[in-house]
Amino acid sequence: MSQRWIGLDPSSGPLERRDDRELRPRPTSLDGHVIGLVANGLGRGEELLDQVYERIARDAGVSGAVRVLKPGVSVPPEPADWARLTSEATVAITGFGG
Amino acid sequence: MASPSPSADRHEYGSYDELLEDYFDRGWTDGLPVVPPTPEKVAAFLSAAGLEGAEVLGEVPTREVVVTAEHAAINAVMAGCRPEYMPTVVAAVRAHLHEKGNCHSTTGTLSGAAQAVIINGPVRQELDVACGAGCFGPGFRANATIGRALRLVVRNVCRAIPGVLDRASFSTPLRYQFCFGEDEECNDWTPMHVERGLSPGDSAVTVASVMNLLSATDFTSRDPEGICDAILGVIRSRFIASDRWLGDGTNLVLVIGPEHRRFFDRASWSKNDIRSYMWPRLHEDGKNVTGLGRPEGLLIVAAGGDGMGDSWLLFPHLAWAITEKIEPV
Repeated sequence: MSQRWIGLDPSSGPLERRDDRELRPRPTSLDGHVIGLVANGLGRGEELLDQVYERIARDAGVSGAVRVLKPGVSVPPEPADWARLTSEATVAITGFGG
Repeated sequence: MASPSPSADRHEYGSYDELLEDYFDRGWTDGLPVVPPTPEKVAAFLSAAGLEGAEVLGEVPTREVVVTAEHAAINAVMAGCRPEYMPTVVAAVRAHLHEKGNCHSTTGTLSGAAQAVIINGPVRQELDVACGAGCFGPGFRANATIGRALRLVVRNVCRAIPGVLDRASFSTPLRYQFCFGEDEECNDWTPMHVERGLSPGDSAVTVASVMNLLSATDFTSRDPEGICDAILGVIRSRFIASDRWLGDGTNLVLVIGPEHRRFFDRASWSKNDIRSYMWPRLHEDGKNVTGLGRPEGLLIVAAGGDGMGDSWLLFPHLAWAITEKIEPV
């Protein structure tokens, strides 16, 4: 009789999203939007985001910026900053990993 | 009381080769063959650690991942561990998943940081953990498989898969495994886990992120100051990563080899004497030039073998080095 092998799944599940949350559609224009600039604190990330904002502001009629500096790359913004973002910004840009 | 029947999904195969090829295809290995994680072996590993499979060892909130003892056991079996290694693997997983161990950043970073697992206490002899010659390299089952088990958990459970949540530009061979013990018997230095608050009779693992592993080679100095100056030259050549969230809690691990240790021993220098000499020299004009927050952040470990006049520096990624007691069963 041939031996059968049973192996257990070592993973925490499939890599696909595990819930039905969806991103909001990307805006077709930034006219009138307040841009959240979320820097993660690495290197010259704040300068980079400011440069990105300046470029956007030249090309679109944006209504201002909300600047947030996270305490670290692996943690969300502090609650007060998170509240400012969700109440004042209408779109947000983040980035500059490392 | 250990869980008698693991709850993970089961896959059935007609042969070991078939199982192995399927595990490769599913991306469940580090590219090397694995030991089949059968329900019986996994149950034996949980029993060896005295844990229920559902026991939570830690989380990665940004990835919505919860890591259980069963996850650790499955991956420890696959790594080639023996059941008696399981409490050490569990402590390593807990340490890595400490909030300030910063799993999300250290395993996702472009820089390809690794995790060093440094073992202290009586468990080193019980498991035959290499602390002396060749201890960073291959040939030692406990070192190789405990370090590999943590990395398989990082890959399979914490989802740090190259091109997915592992974004390393080059990565590092240290990510296959990097585990060694402190040579506590070579001199009268206070072992690292005791300096960090545990008792000499305790066993412990310290998990430190490693962005760069650099040697400080010095064949010519014949006193502690000269050896320290050689090491300081390497420290000053790099910056120790930190941010507001990590504050002054970052660490730099110095692994002092025996050809350097002999000069500290002759002069009766303790680990604290080394810190006292180095700390002011990590400043220029009163300003800290390295990014290391506190003198205690220098974690000094005795290890390695005779012959080569070098010591090694484990420069961190964005994380604290976390020491976790290995709980006796």
